[in-house]
Amino acid sequence: MTRSDDESRSASALARSYRGERVLTSVIGLVALLVGVAALVVGAGWLGTYRAARPVLDPMAVDWLVRQALTARIAAILLGLAMLVLGLMWFFRSLRPEARPDLALDSTIGKGLTVTAGAISAAIAADAEQVDGVSRARVRAVGDREHPALRLSLWLRDGSDVKTIWREIDSTVLRRARESLGVEHLPTAVRLELGAAERQRVR
Amino acid sequence: MRVVVRILSCLLGLALAVAGGLAVLEIAWAWARPGDPALLIDWPRWRDELGSLPWNSTAMRVTAGVLAGVGLLLLLMAATARRKEVRLNDPAEGVSVTTSPRSLARIVGFQVRSADNVRAASVTASARKIRVRATTRLETEAQLQPRLMELVQETVDALPLVRRPKISVVVDSPRDRR
Repeated sequence: MTRSDDESRSASALARSYRGERVLTSVIGLVALLVGVAALVVGAGWLGTYRAARPVLDPMAVDWLVRQALTARIAAILLGLAMLVLGLMWFFRSLRPEARPDLALDSTIGKGLTVTAGAISAAIAADAEQVDGVSRARVRAVGDREHPALRLSLWLRDGSDVKTIWREIDSTVLRRARESLGVEHLPTAVRLELGAAERQRVR
Repeated sequence: MRVVVRILSCLLGLALAVAGGLAVLEIAWAWARPGDPALLIDWPRWRDELGSLPWNSTAMRVTAGVLAGVGLLLLLMAATARRKEVRLNDPAEGVSVTTSPRSLARIVGFQVRSADNVRAASVTASARKIRVRATTRLETEAQLQPRLMELVQETVDALPLVRRPKISVVVDSPRDRR
């Protein structure tokens, strides 16, 4: 495992990636924009005043389609099937919750050792809450089985020294986690939240 | 905006699937039983209407304009659904740290409010810029602003931020109005 691999994994563990969703929304937005603008251009008569006065579903085009009915039908059905499959894939991909992979520490046959995502979370969170200035900690495993990573969310008390905690996380909590799991590398993303856990009411 | 884009993408995927499925059904139905009425949607009526509607009709222009507008809106939403977290330096190899813009604003706000003669303060922060508005009754803007600027600069410098945000401090004091 190389250094840059570790770093990119810890960076991508910071938050769930929305790249797919953003790309799909952009592509559909772009298609809608281009089709709308093209229809406006035709309607404004920039492609010929005669063209602008023709019906949207031009009888000439319909005639042409009717002449190649078999090809047109097969092409349309294939396009429809592709839309159906792609649409359903997108739908379930967006609905799927973020994975919580278990850590496979030893995959040797006969002495395999797996730590479940829940066990890691509870143990490391309890440890992180012991750090001075941390009021609440939440830990979860992210990524996939081959490339697991940890995401640590820490809520700090108002006025606590962020720099000290920032320095201490790796040397205390994460070092202990690595030692107890017996791994050398454990890509980790840490999210610090300040003063959001406890609110003081006005008395 | 991130949640909106996620829900939108989900719905767009579903819409795409439904449109594709309906098209396949209708085409197969019309192919297998020519002459029968349409299965689920009354597409022959749509065909006839579109066959008599010219490109330069108002209805067509309005539809095209709305479609282009929706497309632009989708593009803008997808573009603004970026992560807004503030990156801190990596404390060790393989460890990445971020904090929220709100937390950064809280850290700065905590320091500014505890400064002398500051009555109230509001702070907004992003990875690029921190804006502070403070009100005071005891000092003029010229007296307090440089001090607060220095304080905010020190606070920000003490944090291991990857990118130094620009700082702007505005002081509102009734003494300046006299």
